[in-house]
Amino acid sequence: MNGVHDMGGMHGLGPIVREENEPVFHKEWEKRALALARAMMGGEHFNLDEFRHAMERIEPSRYLRSSYYERWLEGTITLLLEKGVITQDEFDARLSDLAKGEG
Amino acid sequence: MPVVDLELVRGLYKTAGAVRRKLDIAPRFKPGDHVVARNINPPGHTRLPRYIRNKRGFVERDHGVFHFPDTRVAGQGDQPQHIYSVRFSARELWGNEASAKDSLMIALWDDYMDPA
Repeated sequence: MNGVHDMGGMHGLGPIVREENEPVFHKEWEKRALALARAMMGGEHFNLDEFRHAMERIEPSRYLRSSYYERWLEGTITLLLEKGVITQDEFDARLSDLAKGEG
Repeated sequence: MPVVDLELVRGLYKTAGAVRRKLDIAPRFKPGDHVVARNINPPGHTRLPRYIRNKRGFVERDHGVFHFPDTRVAGQGDQPQHIYSVRFSARELWGNEASAKDSLMIALWDDYMDPA
């Protein structure tokens, strides 16, 4: 798709800033996001190409503001819902529990 | 409900989820061939970026046979085919103000190109 992810040749995005001694993961949850996506692909709930496309489909302004693993997590959630591995009701209920501190 | 178990995950990490296929599929191109990237604009997934479409380059290397991403997402199967490293000059991509010395290499699937 001709989405914002297809950035080659764009102007205005600024220089690539390399982080010195960058850790593999910046946050603990990123480890789980990586493991979850890999496990879901291993379990054949979706394939790598569907995963990339799910990330490309992130709403453009949110895509541009998101970190690498934020995109991985959103892509995984999108596919788990679309493939029926979890239902929207299950997802909403879990978020509600977490918001109430019951997670 | 589908379940993923530990044995499955251990196996996955041994194979690293490889997408390369050991298939005897004839390549349409060989190193040195001049090619032009197709102008496709699928609403679904593709790994042919906009800045390469309609541009002319030449094949540097054949990497072997892999799944084709576009059809894997469209539910049209694996369509295994060759991937090539293709070189495009900077001026071909970015115009005459670009450096005459620079070029860019990109991995392109067989179905992304035609002979030039």
